[in-house]
Amino acid sequence: MTMHPARRVLLTALVAWASPGLAVAQSATTGNELDALNLADRAEAAPDKSGGPWRIYLEGAGTTRRLAGPDETAGAVRASIDLRYDAKLSPDLRLVVSNRLDLVHDESDRPVKSVNTLREAFLSWARNDSQTFDLGRVNVRHGAALGYNPTDWFKENALRGVVSPDPAALRENRQGTFVLQGQQLWPEGGITLTLSPRLQRHRSTDPSALSLDLGANNSRNRWLLGGSWRLANGWTPEVLVHGSEGASPQIGLNLSALAGDAVVVFGEVTSGTGQTLVAQARQETGNERRRERAALGLTYTTPINLSVTLEAEYNGAAPDRTQWRALQNAGPTAVLQFLNTASVLQDLPVRRAVFAYATWKDAFVRRLDLSAFVRQELETRSRSQWLEARHRWDGVDLAVQLLLNSGDAGSVYRTLALRHALEVSLRWYL
Amino acid sequence: MSAWLAGCLGAMPSMQARAAIDAQQILVASDAVRNPTRPFSVTVTLLEFRGGKQTDTNTLTVYSKADEQGGQYRSLVRFVAPQRDLNKLMLKNGNDLWFYDPASQASIRLSPQQRLLGQASNGDVVTVNLARDYKATVQGEEEIPDGERVPRRCHKLGLSAVSDDVTYHQVEMWVETTTSKPVKARFFAASGHLLKTAFYRKYQPQLGRERPTEVVIIDGLDPSWVTVMRYSAYGWRDVPEAWLQRDYLPRFKPE
Repeated sequence: MTMHPARRVLLTALVAWASPGLAVAQSATTGNELDALNLADRAEAAPDKSGGPWRIYLEGAGTTRRLAGPDETAGAVRASIDLRYDAKLSPDLRLVVSNRLDLVHDESDRPVKSVNTLREAFLSWARNDSQTFDLGRVNVRHGAALGYNPTDWFKENALRGVVSPDPAALRENRQGTFVLQGQQLWPEGGITLTLSPRLQRHRSTDPSALSLDLGANNSRNRWLLGGSWRLANGWTPEVLVHGSEGASPQIGLNLSALAGDAVVVFGEVTSGTGQTLVAQARQETGNERRRERAALGLTYTTPINLSVTLEAEYNGAAPDRTQWRALQNAGPTAVLQFLNTASVLQDLPVRRAVFAYATWKDAFVRRLDLSAFVRQELETRSRSQWLEARHRWDGVDLAVQLLLNSGDAGSVYRTLALRHALEVSLRWYL
Repeated sequence: MSAWLAGCLGAMPSMQARAAIDAQQILVASDAVRNPTRPFSVTVTLLEFRGGKQTDTNTLTVYSKADEQGGQYRSLVRFVAPQRDLNKLMLKNGNDLWFYDPASQASIRLSPQQRLLGQASNGDVVTVNLARDYKATVQGEEEIPDGERVPRRCHKLGLSAVSDDVTYHQVEMWVETTTSKPVKARFFAASGHLLKTAFYRKYQPQLGRERPTEVVIIDGLDPSWVTVMRYSAYGWRDVPEAWLQRDYLPRFKPE
C-alpha cells in the first residue's frame, strides 16, 4: 500500500522533529523508504513451513492435436498424480521414492490408458560425509548442456509417457535405472561408480500400468565411471566412461564456466565406437566406427532475468542430408522406424542442429513464467518449436503449452506424425 | 613556516592511511554483527510486495561457513517453501554458483545475473563478508532514522569492489558509531544507478550477540517493489566441506 503524499510529508516531518540533526537524515531517507518500512511493519509473519518429506501434486490436462493426415485431429484428456518422498530413516540412511501415474483418455486410442512411471525408489547409505552408496532405481543423469545430452547415457528407453517436450520435463518424467552406485568425494573433486545389472532382456509386454518395465533400462549389464576435479576456481570438468554389454566403451566430458557476470558457457562431448542410428533402427550389426556426439553453447541472462540459451548440437551417428534422402528412398516404414528409434533413445535424429531455449520468470506480470524452445535441424531445414506460459498461484499452476513441428515436405520434423499440439493443464500442490 | 607546512604535508599520507584503516575496521566490525563467527544455519523467509500487495513468499534454509583461506562465506541454500520448490538447492562459493533440482537430478551452473528469488539477488540471501570484497572509505558522520525510524548516529562508508566476485560494484553503508550495527545500505550498479536500498532492523540476541533479524529491501527503480527478509531459527551448525561441493548436491539431506 502506498502512503498518501501529504501523510508521507507529515510523517517525515514528525520523524525530523523527533530528533535534532535530522536535516541530514531528510536527504538520506526518502518518503518511498518510509512507505516501504511501514509496509514491512504490517507484513504478516509467514506460517512456519518446515518442508516435510512429501511433494505431491494432482494435474488435469486437455490436449488437442493435429496429425499428419488430412483433417486428422485428435483430442485427449489426462489426469495425473505425481509424488516424491525424500526422508532420512536414520542419520545415515535415506529413502527416496518418486512416482507418477497418468490416466489418459485419447480419442485415437481408446479406452482409458494408465501409465505408471516409477521414476525412483532407492536407499542411500552415507558411510560418512564424503562416502555414499545407493541401491535401487535411480534417475542417473549427467550432462552440462540443456537441449541435447550425449553423456546422459541412462536416458535411453527411459520414457514411458511424454507430458511435455520441454527438455527439463523429459529429464524429470522418466523412469530411473536399477543400480548399485558409490561416490567418494575429496575437497577438490570426486569419483562415482555406477553398476547397472541386466534384470530383464526385453521390454515388458505387460500392459499393466504398474509394470516396473525392467527391460527398458536394465536389459543389459552397464557401468559408468565418472570423476570431477577442480583445476582452478570455476573450472571443474567431469570425465565419464560408460560401458555396456555388447558395445564398446564411450568416453564423455562435461564442462561449464562463467564468461562475465551474465554468461555461462558449456560443452558436452562423447566419443566411442558404435553403430549409426539407422543401423540401430534396422537392428543391424557390424559397421561399427568411432563416432562423436557434442553440444556446445552458452546461456546469457539479461538484467530483466530473461535467460537465453543457444546450443550447437552434433550427432556423428545420425544421418546427414544425403543419408536422410537414402533413408527416405527405403520407404516410409523405414523412416518411421528410424524416427521412433531416435525418440526411444532420446537421441538427436540429425547430424547437425541448433537449439535456442529461453526462460523468463515473472515475465510482464508477477508469477507468470514463459519458456520456449526452437530446434532447427540443419540437414533438411525443419523445426520443432515449443512455447509454455505458466501462471503460479500459491499452490496452483495454470499452464498452456503449444508444440509445432514444421518444415518442407519430406524434412525430418515434417515427417513426424504430430504437426502441432495445444495443451491446457492445471496443477494442484497438496 | 615552510618547515611546518612540509611537516603537515608529510603527515598527511599517514593520516589518510589511518582513515582508510579505520573505515575498513568499521566495515569488519559491521560484518561481525551480521555474520556469526562459526558455521551456522538460519531460516530466511522472503515476503515480496508490489504496489503494497504481497505477491510472493519463499522460505529457505541457509547453511554458511567461512572459507579458512580467503575468509569469504560459502553457502548452501535449501528451498523449503513453496512446495513446488521443495528441496531445490543453490550452492554459492564466490562466483561459482550452482542450482540443483532434485526432480530432474540436474546441477546447472548459474551466472551472477540469474535470479531465483524475484527481487532478491542470489547474493542477498547468503552470508557475505563485505570487508573481504570491498575497500571502504569514511564519507562522514550522519544521523539517520533506522529501520524502526529511531535516529542513529552513523559512519557513512563508501565501499568500492576490489573483486569481480561481487553482486554490487559500489555500496553506501551507514554503520552506527557506538555499536557497529549496520543500519542502512544503498547498492549501485557499475553504471552508477541505484539498484536497491536495504534497512537492517529488528535487532535481537542471536548466536551470542545482537544481530538484525529483518532486512527490508527497496528496489532502486520501482520503490513500490519491496522484499522483507526475515531471519529465524539461527543455530550453530556443523557444515562439512562435502556439503559445499557440486557433486554432493544430489546427496544433500540435512535432517
